[in-house]
Order: sequence, then structure tokens, then C-alpha cells
Amino acid sequence: MRLREPRERVSPRARLMWASTAAVEGLVLVVAVAVAGPVTHWLPLGWWVVGVAALLTVAYVLVVPSWRYAVHRWEVTDTAVYTQTGWWARERRIAPMSRIQTVDHVEGAVARLFGLSTVTVTTASAAGALEIAGLDRARALALVDELTLTADSVPGDAT
Amino acid sequence: MSTPPDAGWQRLDPRMLLVHPVKEVVRFLPVLLGLFVAGRASGGTGVWWNAVGVLIPIGLGVLRYWTTSFRIAAGRIELRRGLVNRHVLSTPLDRVRTVDVTAPPVHRLLGLTSVRIGTGTASTDDDERLDLDGLPAEHARRLRAELLGARTPAGDRQALPAEEPILVFDPAWVRFAPFTSAGLAITGGVLAVGSQVANSLGGLGRLHPERLADDASGWSWWIAVPAALVGLAVVVSALSIAGYVVTNWGFLLARTADGWHLRRGLLTTRETTVDADRLRGVSVGEPLGLRLAGGGRASAIVTGLGHGQSALLVPPAPRDVVRRAAAAVLRAPGPLDAPLTGHGPRARTRRYTRAVGPAAALLLVAVALVPLADAPWWLPALTALGIPVAVALAADRARALGHALVGGYVVVRSGSFTRRREALECDGVIGWNLRTTWFQRRAGLTTVTATTAGGRQAVTAPDVPEPAALALARAAHPHLLDQFLEAEPVRTSP
Repeated sequence: MRLREPRERVSPRARLMWASTAAVEGLVLVVAVAVAGPVTHWLPLGWWVVGVAALLTVAYVLVVPSWRYAVHRWEVTDTAVYTQTGWWARERRIAPMSRIQTVDHVEGAVARLFGLSTVTVTTASAAGALEIAGLDRARALALVDELTLTADSVPGDAT
Repeated sequence: MSTPPDAGWQRLDPRMLLVHPVKEVVRFLPVLLGLFVAGRASGGTGVWWNAVGVLIPIGLGVLRYWTTSFRIAAGRIELRRGLVNRHVLSTPLDRVRTVDVTAPPVHRLLGLTSVRIGTGTASTDDDERLDLDGLPAEHARRLRAELLGARTPAGDRQALPAEEPILVFDPAWVRFAPFTSAGLAITGGVLAVGSQVANSLGGLGRLHPERLADDASGWSWWIAVPAALVGLAVVVSALSIAGYVVTNWGFLLARTADGWHLRRGLLTTRETTVDADRLRGVSVGEPLGLRLAGGGRASAIVTGLGHGQSALLVPPAPRDVVRRAAAAVLRAPGPLDAPLTGHGPRARTRRYTRAVGPAAALLLVAVALVPLADAPWWLPALTALGIPVAVALAADRARALGHALVGGYVVVRSGSFTRRREALECDGVIGWNLRTTWFQRRAGLTTVTATTAGGRQAVTAPDVPEPAALALARAAHPHLLDQFLEAEPVRTSP
């Protein structure tokens, strides 16, 4: 027997969101290296360092978002929530429905541009939050309603 | 004017009138000193300023006494304080999870205690804390019994047996103090403060390195270095023993009707109760130093403890004593003694590559630096020493790895410097995290984490072979995982 992947995937637009975030962050890094190094000579860095930083950024933007999209999955059943996140390091988290404490719905500034949101399910453990990023907004809201209803119907203080 | 909701408010003990001013004066000491000096310099009016400096803190203390009151009424405990900003804190009695009774030295002189009522809130705001600072010791005991007994019916309360001691402090345990990291921390702190003081007094400036060298020239290195090491060892031991005695003197672990009672402290005494309903497991720690000395320590995995509240069960003590006390708290020796399933050859290989890899890389860099940057020859020699150390560390870490499910407890052991064997009740597990990096996936290993609401929030077993990881989680929670399992894909020939 082995643990299968969760059934549902996140929105395909998440790839674009991750790619654009990574591209902007990479651009900032490349510009910072360029300004600190060859432009102002504040640090002894040549143009080749800027080139390497740019190459790494491009590789990251091309590879990681698709990889992340392939990994990111989630599933909600009557008794449990199951998520899979990450890319290089893959993390699968399973929490019983009876132990859910809060269900958060967050739309970050960038995510809102793409009509996406993040649903975070927390338990009483600081090590056990389940995060589903890159969900379609409507799907996310429906999921929050569903989780809140199911979690409410289970008695106990969830610790 | 007398309305029922206002009835039953109690003040703290009037003896707090003595404690508060003393504490306030200590807090105002720098200001007072400044005033004193300023008063001297200007002369004449200085006396009045001094008087004001002393009276203001005393006035504040009196004010605090008059404005602080508490009561237990209608199933709630309420704390009222503040003159300008009236602050009323109120919590239902059945939310009370812990009652800590602390007595700092000044309190003890006056027979007083400070009671902290824990509700498991995540709030770190001081104003949100239910602290009753200044109750007579006897009153504090009664209050604690009343608060913690709120869950048990009144009729049963008389029948409760007195507390039964499980573990009592043995002065011989102080021999473990030098082997704890706390000893090193204390020494580091004392040395840092000492050098600061010496520096500000101009002591270091007066030391002339050349003169030191001249004085030491009569000494052989072979005498000076060991002498310095022995001296340092003596200082570390003395300070860590002092620290150990101050925190743990009079340690007592006792079983009560519905939980465990802990007491310790030489100057400041601390009393904590651990509710049996909130106990999720036990963690037996055997850090490298303690382990080599044949010792260990234990703490409880308890939910609902606030920040900074210790769940220590056994201070550094002989291994057998720790095992026995921890087993008594779990009411079963199995989880702490049963043999564990090892994590196999691949996990062992990973321990070696992860420890020896960085050491080898360091050695390579050092070797490369000799021709490239004219580094001295002893640099690679020194870094080469890292290889045997890394091998020993990896072997020790590999030996530690193990997990099992014993008597309804998830048991996990790992680590070398900070080796821990943790036993967590299956009911206390509130989720499973299975983490694999790309390298781990290639080796078929998974890092399994059972999350919980108490203690360190999780119990982690690194590098468990995947089938064993699933078996562990399934055994602990049969119905949770089964819905996400599938048969291994059958490999079809093309």
C-alpha cells in the first residue's frame, strides 16, 4: 500500500501567479546585484555575477512554478483534510476533521490580480497548519463554507 | 448602592503593601541614584527631590493595592485593576487549565505567594494575564484546589487522597549540573557580565599583553594550557551547580487526585500542577553531555500551558530515576522501555552523508587554500580532525533513530547532541505531516511528524522508510489514512 496524492488540483492560473511573483523578486535581486557591483563598484562583483543571477532567475521562473503546480494538490473528505505542497521538498499533511480549529481565507495583493486565494486550515498545533494556495476564489469560498460546516458539527475542543 | 454584582470582591493581602514599595524602589533605583547625585551637586533642594523619588513608587504601590481586587462568582473568576484605565478580566472557571504558585524571596519572607492562572490563551499581553500577585500561601493553596477542583463534583472532593510523592529531590543529582547546557550558558553570561564590569572599571585597560607574555614565559605551554582548562572546568562546574541548586532545590513530583503536582526552587519556589486530562505524553531528553554522565531529564507534553510555563517533570538526574518517574507519569513503562524499530540502512547512510559531507567539503576548501591563499599548513590538519568527529556523530545519530507504537503511544527517538525519546498518546496526535525532499524520495524515506497541541507542538521521526511511516500513522489512526491509500501500481510489461 502507499499514500496516493490528493485528488484536487489548484487553479492553473496559480502557475502564472507563482511565475510572476518569482520574476519580480528575481528582477529586484538582479538589479540590486547590478547596482551594488558593476554600476557603483560598492562590491567587487563583475557583470558575470549579474549574468549568473539573471540565468538562475530565468531558470527558476521557467521550472519551479510548473513543478510546484504539479505537486500542489488537496482533498477534503467527510473525516479529514489532506494537502500536498512544495516542490523540491514535498510535504503531505493530513488532519482529522475533528481537530480543525480555524479556517482562514486570504487574498493577497498579487493573488487578487489573478482571482486566486489561499485557504489555511489550522489545528491546535503550531506545527500542523494546512495551506492550500492558488485556489480559484469561488472554489475557495465554497471550500471555506464546507469546512466550517463540517468542522462545526464535530464536538470537542480539538486539542 | 449595594448591588449584588458588586459583592464578593476580595483584595490581595495587605502585606503586599510592603512588597510593592520594595519592588518599586528597586525598579526606581537608577532614577533614585541619579536624583541623589543630582541633589548632591545642586545642594539645598536635593533632599526634597530624594523624598519625592522615594514617595512616588510607594504611592504607586499603595494605589495598586487599593485598585486591585478579584472574586470568584457565578462560575467565573474576575480580576479588576487600574485606577484610570479600569481593567476587568474575567474567565469561566472550567477554562482554567493550570494554576502556578510562585514565591520570590521577598514574598517568602512575608509568607506570600503569586498565583498565575493559566487558561491556555495564546495572548502574550501582560494585561491579559490572570496574575494574583500577593496571596497568603494558605489562601493560594485553597484557591488552587478550588479552581482545579471546579470540574470534579463537590461530593467527591472530600474523598480525594492526599498527594502521593513519586520523586523527591536527591542532592546527589547536582553532579549532573556541569553536563547540562544551562551550565555553559550561565558561565558564558557570568563571564560576559564580568568582563563588561572589569572593562568599565578600567581593569582590562591596565592589563598589558606584553607583561602577560613575559610572566607566562616562565611557564611551559604544557602546564599553562591544562591549568587554564582545569580552571575553566572548575568555574563552569561551580556556576552550573549553583544554578541547578537555585532552580531545582527541594524538587518534588507528586501524584494528586487528578494530575501531577510539581514543586521546586531554592530562593523562588514554583509550584505547578499538570492536569491528567491535559497530559498527552512525555519526552525523555538525553543530551550528549548528560548521556555520557549516565543522566537524563524529562518533560511533559501538556496542552494548554501558556508561554514560558515549564512542563519539566524531572530535572537532570540519573537515567533510571528519570525513566521510573516518566513511566509513573505515563502509568506504563512500555513506551519508555520497549525496543524501537530502526530506520534501516538507507537512513543510516543519510546520517553519514549529511555529517561527513560538510566536514569533507570544509577539508577540501582548507586544502585548496594552502597553495591558493598561502594558508598555514595546520589549517587543513585542524579541519581533518572534523572527519572523525563527523563519523562519530553520524554513528551516534544513526543509532538513535527508531520509532514504535507501544500501548497507544507513538514513540520516537532521534538526535545525538539533543537526543530525545518522545512518547505521545495516539489521541493527542492531531495531524500527520509527511515530508520528503527529492533525495529522500530517491531513497524511499519520509520524515514523519505527528503534530500535537502540547510541548514542542510535534514529534518528528526523521527518515522513516515509507512503508513503515504509513504503518505507524495507520496503526495510530486506522480510519484517517485508509481513505487515502491505494495499492502499489502493478508494473505491466510493454
